[in-house]
Amino acid sequence: MLRFAEEIMLLLLDDRDGSFLPIPEWSMQCALAGAVLMDLALEDRIDTDLESLILVDKKPTGDPLLDPTLERVAASSDVHGARYWVENTASYAEEIREGALARLVDSGILNREEDRFLWVFRSRRYPTIDGRAEQEVKLRIMGVLLSDEIPDPRDIVIICLCDSCGIFNELLSSRELERARGRIDQVRKLDLIGQAVSKSVWEIQASLAMAAHPVY
Amino acid sequence: MDIGESKVDSVFVLEPRGRLDSANARSFEERVVAALDQGESALLIDFAGLDYISSAGLRVLLMGAKRLQQSGGAIALCALNPSIHEVFEISGFLTIFAVHNDRATALAAMG
Repeated sequence: MLRFAEEIMLLLLDDRDGSFLPIPEWSMQCALAGAVLMDLALEDRIDTDLESLILVDKKPTGDPLLDPTLERVAASSDVHGARYWVENTASYAEEIREGALARLVDSGILNREEDRFLWVFRSRRYPTIDGRAEQEVKLRIMGVLLSDEIPDPRDIVIICLCDSCGIFNELLSSRELERARGRIDQVRKLDLIGQAVSKSVWEIQASLAMAAHPVY
Repeated sequence: MDIGESKVDSVFVLEPRGRLDSANARSFEERVVAALDQGESALLIDFAGLDYISSAGLRVLLMGAKRLQQSGGAIALCALNPSIHEVFEISGFLTIFAVHNDRATALAAMG
């Protein structure tokens, strides 16, 4: 089974050429942070309530995508809320992204291609070799959005993460998104770490909007 | 946490007491699964003795509700204290569960 960070990376790649979709950097960082924290919660290493993210078990999971974050939570002398840990972990998003992409390449799901632009600027693309994993994630998401069924925890997580980094704008047409909006809003509230991811993303978006259109 | 259980007519009642969090969510899950595996199709979880619930506890409730929805059964909750009610409100769980003020009201609604 893929980790949430791997699933998010699959959804963040353009199916046509393996380039990254134009998602704001901060949104992607928060989504990857949330992905790791949510996996740690499902591995019974951390737990959350409305105020706090609590260390349950500092025993490493053995997964290099998750254990650095677990170590930081375990090393903290203070208890913080989920949002603090989303923003803290977001500062390590580059490592998480590279780790997730490397694993997807190693497992034969993606290929890595290096391009050069004007012989100087490098860009990397990750065309899909085996699309089954991404298809399975998309089917899970659509299955929840198009029904009234109670989602399972993994489906809630992936919908939270997709919504926080705007992937639904790419997955759904504007009409489909309009119809699914109520269901997305219902499902994404069901996970407290997911709520913390959304709040971090929205706050940055709001401050960027204020900076672009200051009110005097 | 200890968990009381009883049967009132066709409704199976589970009554977790104390805190429902990652320390005991698995044992609570086992009790819920055992009830569903025995064929119980109407499950009432009485929160009268519950002081606290974390995300791990919420996930168990979600799992039970999903299984009962798939099998055509029913689940309801009752007697949430104000802080647990707030958790349910903020996390959107009030849109998924039938929540009643007390056990008598819940049993009447499920009967």
